[in-house]
Amino acid sequence: MRNIRRNPDIIWREEEEARDEALRAMERGDDASGEGTVLLVESGMMHQLNLLGGEIWKLLDGIDEERLVDTLAMTFDIDRETLSMDVRDFLIDIDGRGWLVHE
Amino acid sequence: MSRIPFSPVTINWTLTFRCNFNCRHCYSRPEKAPELPTEQVKEIMAKVAKYKVPFINYGGGEPLLRSDLFELTSYATCLGFNVSMNTNGFLMTREKAALAGESGFKTVGISIDSTRPEVHDDFRNIKGSHKKAVSAAKFLKEQGVRLTISSVICRINHTEFEDLVRQARDLGAEQISLHNYKCAGMGFTNKDELDLSPAEWKEFYLKAIALREKATDIRISMDDPITATIHKAPEQAIVKGSTCGKLSLNIRANGDVTPCGFIPVVIGNLLTDDLKDLWDHSNVLEKMRNKKPKEKCLTCKHYEDCLGGCTARAYATTGDFNSPDPHCWVAK
Ligand code: SF4
Ligand code: SF4
Repeated sequence: MRNIRRNPDIIWREEEEARDEALRAMERGDDASGEGTVLLVESGMMHQLNLLGGEIWKLLDGIDEERLVDTLAMTFDIDRETLSMDVRDFLIDIDGRGWLVHE
Repeated sequence: MSRIPFSPVTINWTLTFRCNFNCRHCYSRPEKAPELPTEQVKEIMAKVAKYKVPFINYGGGEPLLRSDLFELTSYATCLGFNVSMNTNGFLMTREKAALAGESGFKTVGISIDSTRPEVHDDFRNIKGSHKKAVSAAKFLKEQGVRLTISSVICRINHTEFEDLVRQARDLGAEQISLHNYKCAGMGFTNKDELDLSPAEWKEFYLKAIALREKATDIRISMDDPITATIHKAPEQAIVKGSTCGKLSLNIRANGDVTPCGFIPVVIGNLLTDDLKDLWDHSNVLEKMRNKKPKEKCLTCKHYEDCLGGCTARAYATTGDFNSPDPHCWVAK
C-alpha cells in the first residue's frame, strides 16, 4: 500500500484554540464541523480543515491509509467502516486539489 | 464567519519608511518613524515566530534600502517564516536577486503601474523606473526567485489592466495583484486626481473578475471586500469584509503595530507588547472585527459578505470604521 504525504508547497498551521474547542464540542456530542482546526494556504488561497480533516492532514507524513484509519480511531469514536469511508472521501477530495504526494 | 485565527496569518512589515521614489499614490511618504536596528528587528521576529505566523511581507518604504535586508530575511526564514517583499525594483541588481534567492525570499513583488514606460515613470516620479522594474523582474527570474507583480489601480491605468496582466505574464510572474486605490498618505492628498468614481470601480471590477475567471496561466488577485457586491465570496473564505486585523497586522519601522498599513492607529509596540495579547485584546481590532452597519449599509443586502467594504478607506475619509466604503457603488 502506498504512503501518502502532504504536498510540501502547501503552507499550513494548526489552529490550536479551534482544535481544543472542537474536541470539547465532540466530547459533549455537539456538532464541531464549523471549527477550522487547520489553516492552509495554497497558491495564495486560504482554506481551513475541520477537526477530522485537520487530524488526517497532520498525520500525512508518509503514512498508508490503513495505518491512518487505525490512528484516527483512537481519537474518533466512530465505527470503523464509517471512519474509513470519511477518510477515503477526504483523501480523494484533497488529492484532486493537488494537496497530496504519493510515494 | 468562522473564528478569527489564533494569531495573524500575515504580518506586513515596513522595515523602513525611507524610499528612493516619491510616488503620487504612496501611503507611506508622509510617515516618519525611527528605524529599528538589526538586532531589535530580529528580537521582534523571534517574538512573532512564537505564535507561528506563517507569512511576513515587507512593504514600503523601499525594503532594498535596508542594508541588512538579506540578513534579516535569512534569520526570518530560519525561524520558519515565508518571507516576501514589495519593491519598486530600482535597486535590484543581478547580485541582489541572487541574494534574494539565497536568503530565502519565497516571492518578490515588483510594482509596475503601466505598460507604457512614460506613464509609469511619471506616476512614480522617477525617469527610467519602468525600465528598471522590468530588469528587476528579469534578474529575479534568472535567479529562480518566484515573481509577482503589483499594480495600483487608479485613473492612469483602470482601462488598461488587461495590458498589465499581459505584461506580468510576459515577465513570467505567477501572480499579479491589482490593488485597489487607498486614500492614505499621498493617496489621500491626490485622491481627487487619481481615485475612480464608484461607477468606474464597478466597471473595473466587473471586467477584471471576468478576466480572472478565464486566466489559467497567471493568478489575478484583487483583495477588495467591495467585490462582494459582484460575486459571493468563495465558500471557504475564512473571514468576510476587510482582512486586516482578522488575518493580518502591520508592523511599522519602529515596531509599532497597526491593523493595516493604511490605518494609522497604533495598538501597541512589539518591543514591549506581546503579539498575542494585542491580537486578543486590542479594542481597535475588536471594533474592526465587529463592525456595525451604518447609513446605506443598514439596508444593504450585501452587508453580510461586504461588511461595509474597506475599513481603511472608510476610516480615512470619515474617521469612522463603520461608514460605508467610499468606493461603494450601491445606491442609497
Ligand atoms: S509607493 Fe513604494 S516606491 Fe513609491 S514612494 Fe511609496 S514606498 Fe516608495
Ligand atoms: S452599502 Fe455597505 S454593505 Fe452594501 S455594498 Fe456598500 S459598503 Fe458594502
